[in-house]
Amino acid sequence: MTNTNEKNRQEIIVTGFGGQGIILAGRILGQAAALGDSKESTLVQSYGPESRGGACAAQVIISEDIIQYPYIKTPDLLVCMSQSAYDKYIDELKPDGILLTDQDLVKPAEDRDCFSIPATRMAEELGRKMMANIIMIGFTTAVAGVISVDAAKEAVTSSVPRGTEKMNLQAFTKGYEYGLSKLKGRAKKASGQTGVMA
Amino acid sequence: MENYKIILFLCNWGAHTAYQALQDQGYRVPPEISTVRIPCTGRISKALLFKAFEMGADGVALVGCKPGTCRYGVGTNSAINFTDDTREILAFLGLDKDRLQLVTFLPDEVDGLRNFLEMFCDEIRSFGKSSLMPTHKDLIKDDQAGTFAEILAAHNAYGCQDCGKCTSSCPLALTGKQFSPRAIAGAVIAGDMNSKEIVEDIWSCLTCGICYARCPSGVNFPDFICDIRALVKSKDDGDSHQAHGGFFQSLMRSMTSPEMKTDRWSRLPKDVKLDDKSKILFFGGCAPYFDTFFRNHLGVRTTDVLVDSLRLMNFFDVAPAVLKNERCCGHDLLWSGDRENFLKLARLNIAMIAEMGIEEVVTACPECYRTLAMDYQRFGVDVGFKVTHIYEFLEQEIDKGAVTFNPPEKAMTFQDSCRMNSFDALKDLPRKLINRISPNQFEEMKDHKDVSMCCGSSAWTGCDAYSKAMQVNRLRQARETGSNLMVTSCPKCQIHLQCAMEDPFQGNDLKMEVMDLTSVIRQTICWE
Ligand code: SF4
Ligand code: SF4
Ligand code: SF4
Repeated sequence: MTNTNEKNRQEIIVTGFGGQGIILAGRILGQAAALGDSKESTLVQSYGPESRGGACAAQVIISEDIIQYPYIKTPDLLVCMSQSAYDKYIDELKPDGILLTDQDLVKPAEDRDCFSIPATRMAEELGRKMMANIIMIGFTTAVAGVISVDAAKEAVTSSVPRGTEKMNLQAFTKGYEYGLSKLKGRAKKASGQTGVMA
Repeated sequence: MENYKIILFLCNWGAHTAYQALQDQGYRVPPEISTVRIPCTGRISKALLFKAFEMGADGVALVGCKPGTCRYGVGTNSAINFTDDTREILAFLGLDKDRLQLVTFLPDEVDGLRNFLEMFCDEIRSFGKSSLMPTHKDLIKDDQAGTFAEILAAHNAYGCQDCGKCTSSCPLALTGKQFSPRAIAGAVIAGDMNSKEIVEDIWSCLTCGICYARCPSGVNFPDFICDIRALVKSKDDGDSHQAHGGFFQSLMRSMTSPEMKTDRWSRLPKDVKLDDKSKILFFGGCAPYFDTFFRNHLGVRTTDVLVDSLRLMNFFDVAPAVLKNERCCGHDLLWSGDRENFLKLARLNIAMIAEMGIEEVVTACPECYRTLAMDYQRFGVDVGFKVTHIYEFLEQEIDKGAVTFNPPEKAMTFQDSCRMNSFDALKDLPRKLINRISPNQFEEMKDHKDVSMCCGSSAWTGCDAYSKAMQVNRLRQARETGSNLMVTSCPKCQIHLQCAMEDPFQGNDLKMEVMDLTSVIRQTICWE
């Protein structure tokens, strides 16, 4: 059986608009896989006019084997943090691929199954909108399982500005727990339990 | 042979006549039986029935007249209810219900009475001695209670500036009662043991703490009153100020019996998941006793709060342990001045919890919360675990996301709990949770948060006409919000406020649905 977690190659596109820390998010994913989980990883970043406000993307491949070619056409995992990025990439996502979105910024097509989290709003509540990308990484770690928690935390702490490690870890944990909770909620719903039994 | 003690309360009319006829026949009454002649079985309260057990009785029979032959009409009917309620409570304490029986005889049913006496004695012997230890009035030693001077110093009451802010904010004084915290402080400073303030008023204070929030000198009035009560109790006693004939104090004292094996959890619904090995313990509190005591009068259902808390923990995949032999936390004994028995309960509970290796105790009762989290420690009983209020647990879980609420069909208002408000960290929590459920269906009462009006009675002490008047004012405030659901967070608020709704003259203007926040959450929460 090939579960996304066990596939030995994962192709990921993280996308949003410039200034959201999209590239950093991609780098953290790749770094966690390479340094923490001892896998191979590559990162390709789209620069250009996009990095100043337009759609912007990081392509990350995580693999057990050597990666020959770093560009991605059809990702297994698409992380969207803006509507324009969603519109641009959604058709590329593999049919059984996983879509993750910022709930307040992306309105996916009705029939599209997706995991959403109000990452930007949560970051604002934590006091720093900037950390939405870190919350998203936490969420991705929980939902998609492409990197391990420990590796992810390690990569987060070593990538964020010094002095903000604690805050960022807190943001990561929020996203991670939200993700676990989402999975749990889905499992409960699937088993027919929605509310508390009376 | 063990020395059994059996008490017969004999109604003066039918029952006593039969008993006399039995003696006239030369019948030797079994030596374990002592009789108390009473005017009518309807005059015996739950408090008196229970008191007999508290004082060491192994069995109690209330012997009255057949229904319909009661000289006063309704005596036997009241006795049936009282006896039933008390029997249920005995069962919660792990005693066989049949240790307490109500039997009725016509004056000429001499054989029937004899047979009953024989049978009852046999039955009690077959149950063995009662596990309730007679609780003597274990007054704390004078030196432990401290002196007025020490108490005054400990609570900075010498710093009282005589400004009167306390009296002008005290809800009891505002209701019109001749009652003044400032005057109490004054009387204690003057050391006048016989003053009205010390004989009467210290038992009326609700220990709600509104005055403390206002006092410029930071006199912690509730704690001050708590100490003064213990001191007064060590000299004399304050029992005459207890509500419901002291039933609850008596019940709570009885739980200090080390041999007692309570049976308060056996009636949980089957779907509730518990785990004996969990490091998280759910501490229930006295709800089952309250509900049984009031079931024929107020019909309160505070036990729902416990069941709903457990179900919510289960909803979030936590199956906690419960303390099989849980005792009262001791809150009401502490606050009615009985420090000795409070400490006994504290030590018993803590020893049992420690034995289970518990790391965290979750409770839904603000009084249990305060007592476990603060007062055990304050009186030198070390607590080796973290104490969490169910709202803290829920907020933490809900904050993780992926759950949502089906908004209730009701418009809500919220009754603050004074014990919860003594913790800064908890004050805003109920409101935060209500906002999560539905921010648009919530309206505050005129007095809320720090200066909220309390439910009018505390620690089953000092309930009087002014308590009622206060409750009526509070219910009016609730009705003025236009809401139709009063959300509460303390079982006592439910009990005392619903009591005021029973008022035959004003009841309909005051009636309102009351539900604990835990139950509101249980009914509305769902996975996203
Ligand atoms: S508010 Fe404080 S200082 Fe003022 S009279 Fe009351 S106890 Fe004394
Ligand atoms: S604690 Fe409450 S009832 Fe007691 S004096 Fe202060 S305000 Fe009045
Ligand atoms: S308010 Fe009612 S229930 Fe509460 S103590 Fe007074 S009489 Fe009892």
